[in-house]
Amino acid sequence: MIKNSPFNWILLILSSLVLLFILAPLTGMFLHTEGSKLLETVSDKDVQHSIWLTLWVSFTATFFFALGAVPLAWVLARKKFPLKGLVQGIIDLPVVLPHTAAGIAVLGFISRDGFLGKVADSVGLTFINRPAGIALAMAFVSLPFLINSARDGFAAVPERLEKAALTLGASQSRVFFSISLPLAWRNITSGFVLMFARGMSEFGAVVIIAYHPMIAPVMIYDRFTSFGLKYARPASVVFIIIALAVFIILRLIPAGRNHLNSRPHAEND
Amino acid sequence: MIDVNKKLGNFALSGINLEIPEGEYFVLLGRSGSGKTQLLELIAGLYAPDSGEIRIAGKDVTRTRIQDRNIGLMFQDFAVFPNMTVSGNISFPLRCRKYSHADISRMVAEAAEKLNIDHLLDRLTNNLSSGELQRVALARTLITSPRLLLLDEPMASVDASLKDDIRRIFRQLNREGLTILHVTHDYREAISLAARVGVLHNGRIIQEGKPGEVFRRPENEFIARYAGIRNFFRVKLYAEDGSWNAVTGNKMVISIPPDEYPVEGLLAIRSEEVKILNILSAGNSQKNMFRAVVREIYPSETGMEIILDAGEMIHADITMNEFTELNIKELSEVWITFSSEAPIVFSGKELI
Repeated sequence: MIKNSPFNWILLILSSLVLLFILAPLTGMFLHTEGSKLLETVSDKDVQHSIWLTLWVSFTATFFFALGAVPLAWVLARKKFPLKGLVQGIIDLPVVLPHTAAGIAVLGFISRDGFLGKVADSVGLTFINRPAGIALAMAFVSLPFLINSARDGFAAVPERLEKAALTLGASQSRVFFSISLPLAWRNITSGFVLMFARGMSEFGAVVIIAYHPMIAPVMIYDRFTSFGLKYARPASVVFIIIALAVFIILRLIPAGRNHLNSRPHAEND
Repeated sequence: MIDVNKKLGNFALSGINLEIPEGEYFVLLGRSGSGKTQLLELIAGLYAPDSGEIRIAGKDVTRTRIQDRNIGLMFQDFAVFPNMTVSGNISFPLRCRKYSHADISRMVAEAAEKLNIDHLLDRLTNNLSSGELQRVALARTLITSPRLLLLDEPMASVDASLKDDIRRIFRQLNREGLTILHVTHDYREAISLAARVGVLHNGRIIQEGKPGEVFRRPENEFIARYAGIRNFFRVKLYAEDGSWNAVTGNKMVISIPPDEYPVEGLLAIRSEEVKILNILSAGNSQKNMFRAVVREIYPSETGMEIILDAGEMIHADITMNEFTELNIKELSEVWITFSSEAPIVFSGKELI
């Protein structure tokens, strides 16, 4: 590569501007927050509760939906079926919907007049203003991240390995659990982390379903509208730090060997 | 296989009839894209044929589940599972069949010892050599004692130096009674291993027989090329005084075995059949004797490959001894000769 060419300078400047755009507001927020205010916020029971609520609800939602989303991802990666393109489109739909609109849709579904709401009501469950409702709203907007990442993971597993396992006498489910799943594991965990992080930061859809109990994004919004920027800022900083910490920890867990990239594969004819 | 048809995308295996007696080593030749891999996958049960029947030991297994067919298939790139150790790979079929721990460790140890990989058992597979990977794949396939072993291009992914070892293992397995169907694009594998060979082309088996027959008397140009024949000429054919001649585009007149021929055809001569004689040692009175100039000399597996200009470019394979005796180099003038039985003539419909 030719160094110091005008093109490289332009690349450098443009890239720096984009990075600066992401970092500057965050840094500014951190710098504007006094340490004492931060400590005060951390020890605030409401803040603690809402952050804890956000983390466990998002994690639980991700975990339970993964049980269905991962097999769906395998189907999308391996099977051919009519209207597959449509199914893929449906899965991506939550990404393009305005999140408040998504929230309204979910609300219609889980309110006492909605289908799921009626079913739940008959066994004495309600979703509105409950963690279960928050979990559904979070999952609705964040599921595509897990499904798509897991699908890419399964697609990258050489089909020959699955075929070989079949010829060696493995059942379909054994092939899935002992070959496909372990080999796609890296993509699945990274999709899991993405879905968890996306669910955790969701505001629009959740606020429609449940203002209370307050998840962290709702609490930040609440403090901003009730008390102003100064009060919203420390809470934001605390939540960002927690979110970053969780994100980093989860990213480090699947840092094991990536089986598929460790060895070049010959192509079959 | 009885009249098996299978359409796969825009490709089809059609009218495949293949019978392999128990204990036979059958090699199926075909170039990439001829449907070799698909044929093996059909037999193994990864796909069901659109029509036709697959029988093993007289029993129809066309719709039998893969697990119940008891067929071993070794993939071209071995398909060793990268998320398991060597012993994890070898024991996989046993774990699928719910063997006891004691049986598994005993059988894995036996299989590993037989293939000389017992020192690798605890290793992960990502830094094994191709030869080691192949042994792992073979041990894994053989551990359930399949009654039919399918080999997909087993020599294509191993180093040349290991091929002799592998061949020895396959021969040994076959001698022990294992029926083997081996697919390859390399006719030399067929010659060295097969009791019978078949040639697969465009989804059809176009010739079948003992290797000697197929390679000495190929039924068409495609098989001839497969059999490693490099001398091909478009010729016009005519009879003169009761014997037949073929004349090439560059007016080389070649005497051919008496038969009924059309006016045009394709003539092939095995390069081993072409003899080179020293310019001083013979006259030019015989049939099929031509003056030639040496153009290129290459070392070959069996000795030397000489390319000569005798009006047409002709390949000749000679032994190292012959080469030293002839004392030829590029631009040497020599005689070349071959018997009138050597040329193989393809005519009319057989031309592909």
